[in-house]
Amino acid sequence: MHLYAGKKHQKYILNDCPNDQLLFAMGIRNGLTVSIVTKQPIGGPIIIRIKNREIAIDKALACHITAKAVT
Amino acid sequence: MDCHQQHQFKHRPTGIKKVLLMGNPNVGKSVIFNRLTGLDVVTANYTGTTVTYHEGLIRHQGSQALLIDVPGIYSLNVQSKAEEVAVSMLNAGADLIICVLDATHLERNLSLAFDLQNYDIPVVYSLNLSDVARRKGLEIDTKLLSQYLQAPVFETVAVKNLGVGALKHIIFQDFPKVNKMQVHNPIEKSQEIVQNVLQENDVELSLLERFSDWCIKPKTGIPIMFLVLALALGIIVGGGKAIRSIILLPFVNQIYAPLVTRIVERFVTDGIIYRVLVGEFGVLIKMIEWPFALILPYVLLFYIVFSFLEDSGYLPRLGVLMDGIFRKMGLPGSNIIPFILGYGCAVPAILGTRASGSKKERIIVVTLISIAVPCTAQTGAFITLLGDRSLFALLFVYMLSFITIFFTGLLLNRLLKGKSRPLILEIPNLLLPDFRSLSKKIWIKLKHFVKEAQVPMFFGILLAGLIVETGAIIWIGTALEPLVVGWLDLPKEASLSLLLGVIRRELAVMPLLEMDLTTIQLITGSVVALFYLPCISVFVILVKEFKAKIAFLIVLTTFFMAFFIGGLVQNILNWVM
Ligand SMILES: Nc1nc2c(ncn2[C@@H]2O[C@H](COP(=O)(O)OP(=O)(O)O)[C@@H](O)[C@H]2O)c(=O)[nH]1
Repeated sequence: MHLYAGKKHQKYILNDCPNDQLLFAMGIRNGLTVSIVTKQPIGGPIIIRIKNREIAIDKALACHITAKAVT
Repeated sequence: MDCHQQHQFKHRPTGIKKVLLMGNPNVGKSVIFNRLTGLDVVTANYTGTTVTYHEGLIRHQGSQALLIDVPGIYSLNVQSKAEEVAVSMLNAGADLIICVLDATHLERNLSLAFDLQNYDIPVVYSLNLSDVARRKGLEIDTKLLSQYLQAPVFETVAVKNLGVGALKHIIFQDFPKVNKMQVHNPIEKSQEIVQNVLQENDVELSLLERFSDWCIKPKTGIPIMFLVLALALGIIVGGGKAIRSIILLPFVNQIYAPLVTRIVERFVTDGIIYRVLVGEFGVLIKMIEWPFALILPYVLLFYIVFSFLEDSGYLPRLGVLMDGIFRKMGLPGSNIIPFILGYGCAVPAILGTRASGSKKERIIVVTLISIAVPCTAQTGAFITLLGDRSLFALLFVYMLSFITIFFTGLLLNRLLKGKSRPLILEIPNLLLPDFRSLSKKIWIKLKHFVKEAQVPMFFGILLAGLIVETGAIIWIGTALEPLVVGWLDLPKEASLSLLLGVIRRELAVMPLLEMDLTTIQLITGSVVALFYLPCISVFVILVKEFKAKIAFLIVLTTFFMAFFIGGLVQNILNWVM
């Protein structure tokens, strides 16, 4: 599934991040465990938490990140 | 905000230690800079760029050192203007680097630390925001971190001045050449270091952190946003009005104006010179009354509110909340920052779009700001003009501004080719800003406003006085009659606003104060002034930043929209009421 389809408060492991400069610069890479904090309405970004960092990621970009739910 | 100016350190001392202050954005670098240096600080443009940096002197037990505040960067990959500047500053050489690390985001911050290892300059680390880290339950073993980095590490809480003294002390020590570590895989290395030095304890979220969460969740965030905006507006409008009517206006009307009039009367008592100096548009009186008594209080309060929001880390949260709406205009939500900056002054807002954004985005933002975002000076003028008559009229003008921004944005997004960037943004900690840095910042901006505004204001008012007193106004008024009287239903003299509005935005509003207008006329005049030409400085920046063709196109658009919307509003209001 892609990250944008994820549920709030659920943890995910990123297993395929697109090769994107911006993602790379923010330190978002495969293998990270993230949790979804919230999604903004009307096509706004998704906000994820990595450890104690919070990062807003564009909907379009988040749709290209493949993630797997952690149970 | 005085970014389009070049300064030089007047008495830049030679032969003293040169220290570079570096770090990621938002780590508290400016606060540390302010704590280490005294009052003699200059803001400069890095040659050929819009990237600004500060330089200041550190004094300690009779010795001095030069501290350079390098722009905040995440790494030295040379992808942005700021990184380019940082690299060339490093290449120019220095005696010491102070690298500020954010204790709450250590892993991320370490990549810059590793990049610095490639330079043959000793480094000391300031592990800043350590109070916030502790609050979040993060415990960092600084001794171990110092071993890893092969350099001294100081825990600091810049806003409380903790640890800054030790940092200052070490600047003046001698540094032996150190063995720099070799980092082959920065990602793995930073993970390894963090795993060993950092211990995360479970703590209950502090109130500030819970509030921080509420700010970005739409359900709570949107009400908070409206609350913040209402509060900001209340402080600016209410506070400004209070300062104005309690202190400044009495001073001008009861002390300054009579005094100046009496002095002038010693020399001339009537005639055109007398009236140009102290008459209806008397330059000696209005040049103090308009900028200082009527406008300055609002400018001051705007900068207080803006700097507070900027330093508290709230603005990126606003950007995230607004992203959905901004997208419709082809803009990522982070562009809320140039917009809000534009409510201060369009010049830094336009320059600020330079560092980031695609060409399409830049043109959209800059056009929208030029058309429909009033600067603080103009806002002050609107409040003075409308706020006293009817708060509803004031709100109406601002609502119209928002609506126009939105629809013009939609249109531009359709018309312009090109793409806009996706939003990706780290949400910084929500913090209580440091009073000292805040007041310094506000002071610099205020000084800049006075410097920028005073001369054009003087000539504008002089021009107004001459036009009115020589009777040229009758001639101009007749020439513009079909437009001003026929279409806008304003008195003939209002054409004065159109002339002066070319010089500065608030000058398109101020002359209306001296006329006896109905509420509908006040609204019409304000609407025209709102959309009317940007001021001369903005025009110059537009030509410099874009092709002259685009600058003229933007200016023409503002010109026609002003009359079109102004007339439309007038006709509708007169028809409805
Ligand atoms: N609580 C706390 N806040 C800090 C500390 N250092 C800086 N700040 C705040 O962090 C914010 C960002 O600091 P600033 O110096 O503007 O960051 P810069 O972008 O690195 O220059 C401001 O609101 C500061 O008041 C600190 O040690 N503790």
